[in-house]
Amino acid sequence: MPDALPATSDVVVIGGGVAGLSAAMQLSQRGSSVTVLERERLGNGSTGRAAGLLGQLRGTSAATRMLMDGVKIVGELEERAEVKIFVQTGSLRVASTDERAREISDLVTMGQEIGFAIEHLPIDEVAGLLPYMRTDDLVDACYCPTDGHLQPAELVTAYLKIGRDNGVEYRSGCPVRGLDIVAGRLRGVKTDQGTIETATVINAAGPWSYLVADLAESPLQTAALGHVYLTTRPDDNQPVDRHSPAIRDRHLRIYSRPESGGLIVGMYGTEAVQHDMGSLPDDFDMSALTVRADDLHVALLIDATRRRFPWIDERTPLTITRGIMTFTPDGKPFCGRHPEIEGLFHCSGFCGHGIVQSPAIGVIMADLVLDGVTDYDIEAIQADRFFEHPELQARPGIETACYQMHAEYYGRIEGAHGAGSENTPGNDLSS
Amino acid sequence: MSFLILVPTKRVPDTDGVIRIRDDGLDVDTTHLSFVINPFDAIAVEEALRIGERQDDVEVVVAGIGGEAYEDELRTALAMGADRAVRVATGEPLDPWNVARVLATLVDRLEPRMVLMGKQAVDDDAAQVGQFLAALLDWPQATFASEINDDSLGAVVSRETDHGIETVRVDWPAVITADLRLNEPRYASLPGILAARKKPIEQLTLAELEIEIEPRVELLGLEAVSSGRTCTIVDNVDQLLTHLRDDEEIL
Repeated sequence: MPDALPATSDVVVIGGGVAGLSAAMQLSQRGSSVTVLERERLGNGSTGRAAGLLGQLRGTSAATRMLMDGVKIVGELEERAEVKIFVQTGSLRVASTDERAREISDLVTMGQEIGFAIEHLPIDEVAGLLPYMRTDDLVDACYCPTDGHLQPAELVTAYLKIGRDNGVEYRSGCPVRGLDIVAGRLRGVKTDQGTIETATVINAAGPWSYLVADLAESPLQTAALGHVYLTTRPDDNQPVDRHSPAIRDRHLRIYSRPESGGLIVGMYGTEAVQHDMGSLPDDFDMSALTVRADDLHVALLIDATRRRFPWIDERTPLTITRGIMTFTPDGKPFCGRHPEIEGLFHCSGFCGHGIVQSPAIGVIMADLVLDGVTDYDIEAIQADRFFEHPELQARPGIETACYQMHAEYYGRIEGAHGAGSENTPGNDLSS
Repeated sequence: MSFLILVPTKRVPDTDGVIRIRDDGLDVDTTHLSFVINPFDAIAVEEALRIGERQDDVEVVVAGIGGEAYEDELRTALAMGADRAVRVATGEPLDPWNVARVLATLVDRLEPRMVLMGKQAVDDDAAQVGQFLAALLDWPQATFASEINDDSLGAVVSRETDHGIETVRVDWPAVITADLRLNEPRYASLPGILAARKKPIEQLTLAELEIEIEPRVELLGLEAVSSGRTCTIVDNVDQLLTHLRDDEEIL
């Protein structure tokens, strides 16, 4: 039998992925009693299927600061939990068109203005660094030596280890059935195993977070969209150095990083599978999302991959990882208090970048819950920013907007020049 | 005449799906299940395609026995590169003996030189059809193949057995069943997926094949297997040792 639920808790976190686990850890660090309720298993949703790429330079200084701080926080986590989380491989952005080359130049200028380590890299040096990548079609590239990736499993381990030491209660296999809201104030969270009395709930349910918001009869502007990436096997004929830089090719819409002697390549295509999370069973295990041999998204991924890594094709032994990302209409997450229900906070919608945002997001959530304010600039990620947007109050409109955002997220149609603009939605020079 | 390889396949629940038994205890609940080509059959499809890539004038025909939904899986095999497909339409699942009889009539019609199929289906694990079929056709068979080296007259086949790797030779026509280590099936390419939409799937009925089903095995029941595992969390190594010594009596 699982341990009984605590009768009361200062804070209940719904969702045991990196976002919820980071928030729970930071809150416990500051003395709150915290209970994390996880529908299935801790760290086994989107978290367990993430590539974890960390590209710190983003289109806005607020987002960049969050990621740079995240690296510092991760350093502290590594020390306390004695695990290796951050693998600093450096990262490369490559351009095969003039439009993309201009984006890279803008990025280098912007990065250097704020003192971030970034430089143009001559193509012959790119070729030297990445002998397994096609470079003859490249016109420019830039290199960020302090980037890399976070290892999701190790990050979860650290959040859990420190959280447990601080007394956080974790409950797996415990789906939330209802929110007890009286006169606009949160009073408790209902589960099959009983009700926990609490005045504060953090909705960190990732793809399920819009269903948690439904329990409060409030729309949340997220949609659950499918994503696939491939991992090649270690191959003596095609060695991949474990410390090769990560690669982003916005023209082909792919990203890549080394993984255990092989290569991960993922793609943000123009189309995504839309998941109806409400139709899935309570104990849905995301690893059960397998891939047919004739999956169109996989074929598109392999096709794009081959253009940058010509030694990979449909005959190459590959593992395909399928997951679900939580997208929002503007490509930015929701982190903050619900404007009308006192005690309800949203922490969701990381658009495929939850792993790397989670370290700082935990700090922000703890600040907001305990102090009501935070030093971070959270203007762009307020939970209520679409609260009165007429087209974003019901599922069909929300889903269309999120789907559209996903389609533009990575590849941004050629010609839509304007990198670095603070206000252009989806032009976040996303990792 | 081209060298025709017939690859019979079975449509099975996705191996990563959570299997729940139907209330009547006679089949699995398919509500949340997705289906795939039986993984051993997918290996057979892949091997047939590779033979086609290294030999001239090979035609790969995939076959399936079942309802209309089966055409999704046949389409998958076509997208991987098979040339055409045949579906024998049936409503009810057949036992291995009757599957082999249906396949034998298909062999009479299509006249393949080689039947290449999975060593067993992962849903019922019967591992009988290949062997029944070889007997019905009076063809040589090489089962559980982990390597196939084919030539114009036959093939040298490695078979993984408990005693070691056995090497045998069979002459065409022959039945070969595929084991796990034979190959790793490919994903369909973009052109492959597009081409598959235009490839033919021939439909045949049992009546057209002039075959009467003779059930020989009746399914009486199906029940879930309990893993029987229980989990106990201990605080330290001493407790673990005490538990193993006193409670489990392992040490």
